[in-house]
Amino acid sequence: MVRFDHVTKIYEGENKAVDDLSLEIQEGELVVFIGPSGCGKTTSLKMVNRLESVTSGSIYVNGRDINKVNPVKLRRDIGYVIQSIGLLPHMSVADNIGIVPKLLGWPAKKIQNRVDELMEMAKLPPAKYRWRLPDQLSGGQKQRVGVLRALAADPPVILMDEPFGALDPISRNVLQEELVELQKKVQKTIIFVTHDMDEALKMADRVVLMRQGRIEQLGTPAELQNSPATEFVRNFIGEDRLAQLSPEDPVEGLYREPWLLVSPKERPGDVLEKLEDLGGDTAQMLDPRTGKWLGMIHMPLLKKTLRSGGELKEALRKNRKLYVEDANLRDVATLLADQDIPIPILREDETFLGIITSSDMARLAIGRLGRNAKGGA
Amino acid sequence: MLQTKPFWELFYNYVVRYHERILNLTWQHIMISAIALGITLVVCIPLGIYLTKKEKLTPYVIGLANVFQTIPSLALLGFLIFIFGIGNDNAICALFLYAMLPVLQNTYTGIRSVPQSFVQAARGMGMTEMQILMKVQLPLALPVILAGVRVATVWIIGTATLAAAIGGGGLGRLIFSGLASIRNEVVLAGALPATLLALAADQGLKIFQASLDPKNRAAKLAKRRELEA
Repeated sequence: MVRFDHVTKIYEGENKAVDDLSLEIQEGELVVFIGPSGCGKTTSLKMVNRLESVTSGSIYVNGRDINKVNPVKLRRDIGYVIQSIGLLPHMSVADNIGIVPKLLGWPAKKIQNRVDELMEMAKLPPAKYRWRLPDQLSGGQKQRVGVLRALAADPPVILMDEPFGALDPISRNVLQEELVELQKKVQKTIIFVTHDMDEALKMADRVVLMRQGRIEQLGTPAELQNSPATEFVRNFIGEDRLAQLSPEDPVEGLYREPWLLVSPKERPGDVLEKLEDLGGDTAQMLDPRTGKWLGMIHMPLLKKTLRSGGELKEALRKNRKLYVEDANLRDVATLLADQDIPIPILREDETFLGIITSSDMARLAIGRLGRNAKGGA
Repeated sequence: MLQTKPFWELFYNYVVRYHERILNLTWQHIMISAIALGITLVVCIPLGIYLTKKEKLTPYVIGLANVFQTIPSLALLGFLIFIFGIGNDNAICALFLYAMLPVLQNTYTGIRSVPQSFVQAARGMGMTEMQILMKVQLPLALPVILAGVRVATVWIIGTATLAAAIGGGGLGRLIFSGLASIRNEVVLAGALPATLLALAADQGLKIFQASLDPKNRAAKLAKRRELEA
């Protein structure tokens, strides 16, 4: 939906604000850009609707190179919510929401219907709030109107630049939840900039953590929390957020690539040889067509099968597995304590996702031990 | 000579006898002021807007307006005799130069003081630069611009009395001839309408300013539409 292709931005006489950024954002995805001040997150956002120019590289929105589209026209097709809300103080709530449809030349009746529909959706009764001025609204209500204004012309892509930054923590929380709910309903592609890690982890489908114009880590909130790629990411996320892992946490983001994937047709001898070469002791068997999990091969059983001259199928274990939808860290730990071999993680439809080993769990535990020591000091 | 009649009686008699002349001169006064004000607005408001786009020029242009402002008005009229000769053209030109500063300065400041976040939001939503000016910047800057216009109007009406000194018309005629013939009632017959004109224009613009204040206007609009609905 939105694709950054080797995008670089250099302000005159300064360092690279954005340095060779490549990123593809899927339709309906909520991607949060986060990082310290000056990391290029806001610049990246503003390049999408051409409020900032691109120095080199290109950005595609809906398959179109934005540099080949008239900027005014482009901006009318992209929702925009600004840091300080930016509701025009001399226009009523309804007029503010209707700005972009009016610019697009919708008939008055259609604009009014659309405004009413949106206000109903955000629980702002139109009869009561339609003609109010922005100054007559609370901070949270203003921000809601700001979001509605971005939705008004039904753009597929919405840019949000620290929209909740100026709110008190309670309203911020409410609005974050509302936005996530809303997003489920309207399925827009949203690029969201913030400096608030809690906000990012709470709302994002994927988080883009930036530093000095580059992507430091890109992943789901769980991936960032469970396996920060660098020391910088670890520090930026904050030790206490990493520590928020509880036994009830999902295993999402914790699993990784298995050592070896095999197909049902392979011979037991070949698999054993491969395993010995890799120094691993388990392999996962997948259906080569569907990617569904068929079972796990464990070295001792494989050797036994080989001795008795059986087929590879006979060396399969099928009972040891967890489903990503309902498994939590406690389940993983219990299984690993019972027997120290990796646990395959599947989706409910038996699609294979990855494995969790005891060393993965140990790494999590190390993080926690470190923090406890710090907390005690 | 001993003055036989009290001052107010003299004044009353003069006004009754010459009311046509007074009205005529008042009308002239209004016309001179209106034309000067019109030229000021037509030149200075667009110029002020232009300056917000060309920041580099601003100190020079506003500095120049400031220079005209500081020249004593009578001296300015005197200078302009070399260019325009005597008469109303000269007076109008001098009044324009004299009144430039408040309008120019307030237009520039008013537009500059519209918070950038509004302009950014408007641009981000896809308004053209012209739409940003007409729908966002000017409406929000209007109270400040009008305050400048008010100042300019009062100055122009007051200073227009000097037009008579260089052969122009207006209520200044009465004042100058009254001074020359030491007849205070004639001076008052010119000064009083001029003062009233200035006060009336100031009050009128004040009311206009209040009614045009974007927030007031929006509130009124809201009320009206609510009634319609």
